[in-house]
Amino acid sequence: MLTSVFIAVVSLALFWMAAFTLWWQMHAWRTPEVLASTRFSRPDGDEHVSFSLLLPARHEQAVLDHTIQRLLESTHTDFEIIVIVGHDDPETTEVARKAADRDPRVRVVVDTHEKKNKPKAMNTALPHCRGDVVGVFDAEDQVHPELLAHVDHAFRATGADVVQGGVQLINYHSSWYSLRNCLEYFFWFRSRLHLHAQKGFIPLGGNTVFVRTKVLREADGWDPNCLAEDCDLGVRLSSVGKKVVVAYDSDMVTREETPGSLMSLLKQRTRWNQGFLQVYRKRDWKQLPTFGQRLLARYTLMTPYLQAVSGVIIPLNVAIALFLDVPVGVAFITFLPAVTALVTFVFEVVGLHDFGRQYGLRVRFVHYLKLIVGGPFYQVLLAGAAVRAVWREQRGRNDWELTSHVGAHLAHVNREDVPA
Amino acid sequence: MTSTLPAATGVKVPAQRTAAPKTGSIPRTTPPRRLRGSRSDLVLCVVLLAVILVVQGWNIADYPTLSDDEGTYLAQAWAVQEGRGLAHYTYWYDHPPLGWIQLAALTWIPAQLAPESMTVGSMRAAMLVISAISAVLVYVLARRLSLPRWAAGLGMLLFGLSPLSVVLQREIFLDNLAVMWTLLAFCLAASPSRHLWHHFGAGVAAAMAVLTKETMLIVLPAVLVTMWRHSHRDTRKFAVTGAVTACVLIGISYPLLALLKGELFPGAGHVSLWDGIEYQMTRPGSGFILEAGTGSYGVLQSWLYYDRVLPIGGLAGALLLLVTWRWSVTARALAGPALAVAILAAMALRPGYLPAMYVIQALPFLALVLAGGTASVAHAVLRRWRRTDEKRALTWTRYAVAVALVGASAAYVVPRWYDGNRTAVTADANAPYRAAADWLGTEVENPGKTRVLVDDALWLDLVHEGYRPGLGVIWFYKADLDPAVTKTMPRGWRDLDYVVASPTVRRDAVDLPNVRAAMENSTPVATFGTGEDRIEIRRIQAAGGDR
Repeated sequence: MLTSVFIAVVSLALFWMAAFTLWWQMHAWRTPEVLASTRFSRPDGDEHVSFSLLLPARHEQAVLDHTIQRLLESTHTDFEIIVIVGHDDPETTEVARKAADRDPRVRVVVDTHEKKNKPKAMNTALPHCRGDVVGVFDAEDQVHPELLAHVDHAFRATGADVVQGGVQLINYHSSWYSLRNCLEYFFWFRSRLHLHAQKGFIPLGGNTVFVRTKVLREADGWDPNCLAEDCDLGVRLSSVGKKVVVAYDSDMVTREETPGSLMSLLKQRTRWNQGFLQVYRKRDWKQLPTFGQRLLARYTLMTPYLQAVSGVIIPLNVAIALFLDVPVGVAFITFLPAVTALVTFVFEVVGLHDFGRQYGLRVRFVHYLKLIVGGPFYQVLLAGAAVRAVWREQRGRNDWELTSHVGAHLAHVNREDVPA
Repeated sequence: MTSTLPAATGVKVPAQRTAAPKTGSIPRTTPPRRLRGSRSDLVLCVVLLAVILVVQGWNIADYPTLSDDEGTYLAQAWAVQEGRGLAHYTYWYDHPPLGWIQLAALTWIPAQLAPESMTVGSMRAAMLVISAISAVLVYVLARRLSLPRWAAGLGMLLFGLSPLSVVLQREIFLDNLAVMWTLLAFCLAASPSRHLWHHFGAGVAAAMAVLTKETMLIVLPAVLVTMWRHSHRDTRKFAVTGAVTACVLIGISYPLLALLKGELFPGAGHVSLWDGIEYQMTRPGSGFILEAGTGSYGVLQSWLYYDRVLPIGGLAGALLLLVTWRWSVTARALAGPALAVAILAAMALRPGYLPAMYVIQALPFLALVLAGGTASVAHAVLRRWRRTDEKRALTWTRYAVAVALVGASAAYVVPRWYDGNRTAVTADANAPYRAAADWLGTEVENPGKTRVLVDDALWLDLVHEGYRPGLGVIWFYKADLDPAVTKTMPRGWRDLDYVVASPTVRRDAVDLPNVRAAMENSTPVATFGTGEDRIEIRRIQAAGGDR
């Protein structure tokens, strides 16, 4: 009897959790009107906002120049690019200086912190920004030339303090986990983030994010001690009522690639999770005015852990229903979370199809197969990252230099700065 | 794509209603809006509902004759309420159990307040709730399918007041519950807001319909067509897959139930879902519906006896809509219901088994297409090829034709429906049943120790009179078909005391040796009613002395 009650309670809790997550994940497709509202509106040709684009680069001499060139191709007429390099990184500095010599819109700021990380680098550059709006990009980003014009229009049309553009991982064909990783981004930026903007609580992304310079300075920039400084900034700004607008257009997103190996994906995810945990403990979200918003904040910041737990419990539950002698009614309840998981699976398959359509990519049958078969394994990976994050946080290893001891991975540090 | 950005943080505004891209959406005759907010819709709907409820509710317990199936479902609902499992005899997967589980929930409060009210006659009142919901859903669906207000009202009236509907919707049939769920599925599929979770809900409702009465499965393509037409191209793939997934996942719960009980596949010593399906699929056919003399023909005639307007008019309406598909907006808007009628008609033409309640699932769709067809004709007469500078005389001719058509239809329909419904609200068809139950309650000395074979319709009455449920008062056919019952009758009919010979029992006794023997070795001690419909209480001769 006690077992039955326990199982039923756990199952129902999991069911509601999964159902809410699914509900939010599908936000953008609720109605055609909602879907239409998630896009950028067409710029009116008028331009009034000036941009300072921050481009932190670390050991990225190989890709930096191309990224700068592409940014300079932007159709917008009033922007500057501030490349932030480290004093201990002469190769990247060299590339940045050459670019600055070629074009007056490019400037170089040198970060002299002993221990380096992205928020420190960006805080170093903040006083040098001349534009009305600070935008953040990563050194390997492919930015659409018309993005700035759209963002300009968005700022003016909505009176926003923050505009978050879409970021999309594109190399779904590279490996089984990159497929799932791409799809995670798709659902996050295409759908879930819009819900957060609407609800007034939003963890921002690491790049293609634009903040009014005044607002950013008032907020003292980024938190140099937080592992998810992007998420933290979003939480702090939305908690004090700043207006955040999210827009996603498949041809306007910033394209990126997934981490190069399973291990670096695990590390990246560990860092985000730990960052989310830190943001949770900083309690800025407690200032949110409504109970619903605080609940959403609590839930969102704890998602990695809930995910880890549910990944383990759902299969266990089904096994209990099938093999243990519980009443039929209770057995039915134990299937509820699995049912939600299945619905989520189906929507992911449809999402993959939509992803292919939006980006003109040929998604083949084998990719759908990989998506389904890879699901449980990806869940294991996420659970592993969650456990690892809790472990590190408990041991007080909350240093940014997650990869500092592996020199070869330094190139990935910046690449990892995107939310999930 | 041009549009504005979503609402933002800090400001408490709901998501902005951005116009969806026009491409791919169906043309609408009226813009989508909330029915709840429309006073004229509400008033019309409430007035019609009141009329329908009065006609359906008045005299509901006494007409039509109690049917065996009503007794079966209600008794099983009673078993669920009493915590005796899904049925008081072994549940053998004849139908999915959701139908009588709903009945159990629906009748739970009255059954708690007055346990003896749990009999077929009095619990028919619960069906009024279902009829009311279904009738309102017909109206809502008609409006969502862009029919004008008067046509939606007409559809609701046809559905609720046809004498055929009045008779069938009064009875405790699973089909009536399934119709309600199907209509809900249609309404959600045609949701004006085209909300993903409305479509998902349509899938859930469709699954509920199938789990209530499995025959609803064949109508699902029509739900899908409706959803397809009403969803927007940009969100359609999510909406439709979501609905299908929901429907399948909930539908799977039935085989899952069998699996959890270890009864999915046939095996020695237990019933199984497989056997249940096999039984239903191999029921002997009742012949071609249009061939005089077959069982199916008889069933058709029994429907037409009550009403010709709705079945024949509905089929004509469906045909009209199919023919005018190219030109008529109404025809395209009603594609779903028209398809449902077409599928159900095609299935009826198949020479398989045709149950008498088959037509129930077609009633709302017949009503909708007939109303739609009428709207089409009205439009053709009053509006088509009409120019602003049309001659006065021609306009007057149009109105004259319209008035003539309305008059002619009313002259045909009203007297027939008046007669049919007058019978429904005045006739008492169940006096013999009540008298038989009374007799068995008062004249038999020790009900607790008496064993009696009855048909399902009387069973609950006798349970309330103190007979032992299951083995004391026995569903007559269980005496031959249920091993758990026959093993308590080692001496066959000699172990029984009475058999209540109702028309159903007399009809089926031919194929049931124990029941036949009980009939042959008994003499009537009381008879109620006369002729074919009489009910005899027959005392079995060997009973008493040597037991």
